Amino acid sequence: MASKILSQKFYAEMEKLIPRYPTRVALLLPALHQAQEETGWLPPEVLEEIGAYIGIHPAQVREVASFYTMYNLTPVGKYHVKICTNVACCLRGANELVEQVERKLNIQCGETTRDRKFTLMEEECLGACGTAPAMMLNDDYYENLDSKKLDQILESLE
Amino acid sequence: MSETLYIQHFNEQARPLSYYLEKMAGYSALKKALGMSADDIITEVKKSNLRGRGGAGFPTGMKWGFIPKQSSKPKYVVCNADESEPGTFKDRDLMRYTPHLLIEGMLIAGHAIGSSIGYIYIRGEYTREAKLLNAAIEEAYKAGYLGKNILGSGFNFDLTVHRGAGAYICGEETGLLNSLEGRRGEPRVKPPFPAQAGAFGGPTVVNNVETLTNIPFILNNGGDWFAKLGKLEKSGGTRLISISGHVKKPGVYEIAAGSMTIRQIIDQLGGGILGDKKLKAVIPGGSSAPVLTADEIDVVYDIEPLMKIGTMMGSAAMMVVSEDYCVVRLIQRITKFYEHESCGQCTPCREGCKWMEDVIHRILEGHGREQDLNLLLNIADNISGKTLCALGDAAAGPVTSFVKKFRADFEAYIRSGKNAQVHH
Amino acid sequence: MPKCTIDGREAEFTPGQNLIEVAKKVGIEIPYFCYHPGLSVVAQCRMCAVQVEKMGKLQTACSTPATEGMVVHTRSEIAKQNQRSIMEFLLINHPLDCPICDKSGECDLQDNSYKFGDSNSRYTEERRTYLDLDMGPVIKKNMNRCIHCTRCIRFGEEVANIHEMVAVRRGNNTEITTIDGRPLETDYAGNYSDICPTGSLTLKDFRFKRRAWYLKKTNTVCEGCSRGCNMEIHQDANRVHRCLPRVNMDVNQYWLCDEGRFNFHYLHSAERVVEPAIKGKNDDLSMTDWDSALDAAKAALVGARKLTVLVGSDLTNEEILLLQSFIPQHLSGAEIVHFGTAGVATVADDAAADKLLKRRSKTANLHGIEQLGLKPFRGISDGTDAVLVVRGGRAELPELPSVKLVGVGVFEKSEARNFSVVLPGTAFAEKDGTIVNFQGKEQKLRRAVIPAGKSKALSEILMMWMNRKSS
Repeated sequence: MASKILSQKFYAEMEKLIPRYPTRVALLLPALHQAQEETGWLPPEVLEEIGAYIGIHPAQVREVASFYTMYNLTPVGKYHVKICTNVACCLRGANELVEQVERKLNIQCGETTRDRKFTLMEEECLGACGTAPAMMLNDDYYENLDSKKLDQILESLE
Repeated sequence: MSETLYIQHFNEQARPLSYYLEKMAGYSALKKALGMSADDIITEVKKSNLRGRGGAGFPTGMKWGFIPKQSSKPKYVVCNADESEPGTFKDRDLMRYTPHLLIEGMLIAGHAIGSSIGYIYIRGEYTREAKLLNAAIEEAYKAGYLGKNILGSGFNFDLTVHRGAGAYICGEETGLLNSLEGRRGEPRVKPPFPAQAGAFGGPTVVNNVETLTNIPFILNNGGDWFAKLGKLEKSGGTRLISISGHVKKPGVYEIAAGSMTIRQIIDQLGGGILGDKKLKAVIPGGSSAPVLTADEIDVVYDIEPLMKIGTMMGSAAMMVVSEDYCVVRLIQRITKFYEHESCGQCTPCREGCKWMEDVIHRILEGHGREQDLNLLLNIADNISGKTLCALGDAAAGPVTSFVKKFRADFEAYIRSGKNAQVHH
Repeated sequence: MPKCTIDGREAEFTPGQNLIEVAKKVGIEIPYFCYHPGLSVVAQCRMCAVQVEKMGKLQTACSTPATEGMVVHTRSEIAKQNQRSIMEFLLINHPLDCPICDKSGECDLQDNSYKFGDSNSRYTEERRTYLDLDMGPVIKKNMNRCIHCTRCIRFGEEVANIHEMVAVRRGNNTEITTIDGRPLETDYAGNYSDICPTGSLTLKDFRFKRRAWYLKKTNTVCEGCSRGCNMEIHQDANRVHRCLPRVNMDVNQYWLCDEGRFNFHYLHSAERVVEPAIKGKNDDLSMTDWDSALDAAKAALVGARKLTVLVGSDLTNEEILLLQSFIPQHLSGAEIVHFGTAGVATVADDAAADKLLKRRSKTANLHGIEQLGLKPFRGISDGTDAVLVVRGGRAELPELPSVKLVGVGVFEKSEARNFSVVLPGTAFAEKDGTIVNFQGKEQKLRRAVIPAGKSKALSEILMMWMNRKSS
């Protein structure tokens, strides 16, 4: 096999988790999370490496990874903007926020800006309905959004 | 106001172990439980009339009672912290503010069913809450509440936070178990039920966060006390309600079970409708609950009263819609969600949810036909009760109720092409 | 035995048996797609849902074990409504391309649609489409025809022991596939096509060869190894188009390996010697008539100082017995030994070659030939000046000395080049006979097609030998 892409840290984290589960396959979701934290997205080579580590066919890694929306199987920008447009956020104007970002970044939902800085996505319910509209920016929540606040957040990003 | 268990502890930051010990009688229920037999604990929980807070409302004591005493495989306690039903956000508060309450609840559950391994399956998006839980778990290990020979009792318990990765269906308990095992979160055929063969093939109890956080209170104050907190016969304790949508004060509130009507909750807790508009609709139990019209809300907000009028309390997530929001747009968004979250295993859900979404989307785009409404009702009927898990019903219920209760709005929309209503 | 009632008929069952199987026993068909008796039960297609008295919802028959006194209705209005509805759901995204689909005529989707579906569809939205995928040398996938039954996935995982066929993405966008267009790795890939209830996974080898309804079927046994998997030969106009596994729970259950499945191709190969052949002046093989070839064979063998007869363990018991009585009478003094697979001289050398079906002996009757008392070929003994090889289509020729060689049976032209004479015989699909598998089970080969070209049965060849007066 080609040289490893995932770091020593990745493997150290996984070794810590092994005693936590009765099977090795159970490491798959934590491994995908940990890998994505390192590489930003999950290219086939990384999935292959995870499969080899766990001892499962690479197709099994792919079928699992592709089931969950949080695993990026295509590259995303430095800032991954995920605006919730589910019911509660919709009732509070989330669609208009999506349109605002689309205009501002000049991309459609699901696209990445040419400079690879931003990826915009519509998200399903984030469990922040009491503080709607809400979005995730990479791993962090931003809540009680309005047009002005959203603008400020986007402006502040390097 | 009646007694509340949680809400006074919800604050801007997580409550550390010191606070929990000092202000919430932390881990005293565990000490008590360790001195009790498993059967006595389960009896106490049964007495409490605690019913699952995730949505199904199944009596918790009974669920624990299904776990076989003897098992060749390890038993597991799994906390369902997937909180994925749109409109629900109470478990998030419980985990971020009172994580030790959950840990203690799981320890007691473990002791009661004879399990020494627990997992908290938390939705992947809750990164912050997962970190807070992990920090609390670390505190508990250091203080001897987790690990080997807990408080010198000989009882061992290990607890691990397992993050989901973006799939509503993992809130379904067998989908969750598959996801925990490193598989696609597809629900399993039942039987066998998790109580016989759950996580990794072992007998497993799966409980919602709020269900488990109730346990320490029940042990400390007795099942009878907890049962009496509720105002209806079959529902004990208090309920955390997530209120969202067109209300002035959205958020998490706590009421004695069965103590208020929907109208009272909207007016007194939610602060009334945003902009003092008229009410159009209430979705009373997460987006899968059949919708209620403005004249159906003088109903006591609890499991049986809502069931009686054809809807459900679900996860106690109330979404309020004011008069000028378009119901076609609303049901389109709900249906799109279930279509997006259908795992795709079983035929009626995989094909039917998409079909319904396509038809509603077409109506929304102004290409509706008169016969579409009956078609929608029929598709929903062909899904309902015929799928492998409850997601099919979750998708069909809203469509049926919206079309039936707001038929005139749909017909007007179809006739006029696009409707003139604004969206918010 | 406990009993239940299905559509008014009393049905006995063994505890644990599911309703589909119990209903089958009393002649009631419960339709299904995802269920397969050789795979785990997933209850996904929902086609088999039936009404069970005292239960609120419809129950999937595949996942419901019969219980004493259970009363089941498979054709009640509510059950029929569900069957119609499932058929409608399954067909809204199906291309309905039966006229050009190889599965047509033997397709569960087509059959169940006819029997249980409605004749019209209410679907007017856009259909879901996928790209076709070449899955390696054995299978071609047409995902548009797929109904997501996941039989193929479960076959890979549970039977072939490889997790190569998977479902990616989810919901309405779920695609059943290998990843990145990789070819299938298992050497049991043909089964993916057999168990596919639609035309989604088709055998490349069979695609566009013949409509299913033209095929004549013959029950026989595979000659590919000493397991003797039960199979059907499908032929039309005397040409074999495919072989499919036949259920035998003791031998091969539901499955067949690719080697055995595609073994038949040599029957119709242009390389097969199907006319009597003799070595000409320039050492090349020339085709001739039977009389001349028999004369040449006799000339080569009769009067040899030391003759060895190599009998292939791919022959049937009947053929072996025939040789055992013929050779001492007509070629007396000859040493008779058997051959078949390099490295597998005797039954003791035969073992499982993988975890599923394959055996090390690549001939089907090693066990039979040994029971009939033949010894294995261990090398040519000194002084041998002539060798007669009699075999079917599988026995692997050992290295032979440069002496007079006569072959009777199935030979490729390249092999025949070393022989003085080749008398073309019959292959497994061209004859009846008995073979004995590694379990000691006697099984029947059955004739599906007439012998190719001028090939003749061994009995006929030997009879001609006896009756031919040398000129």
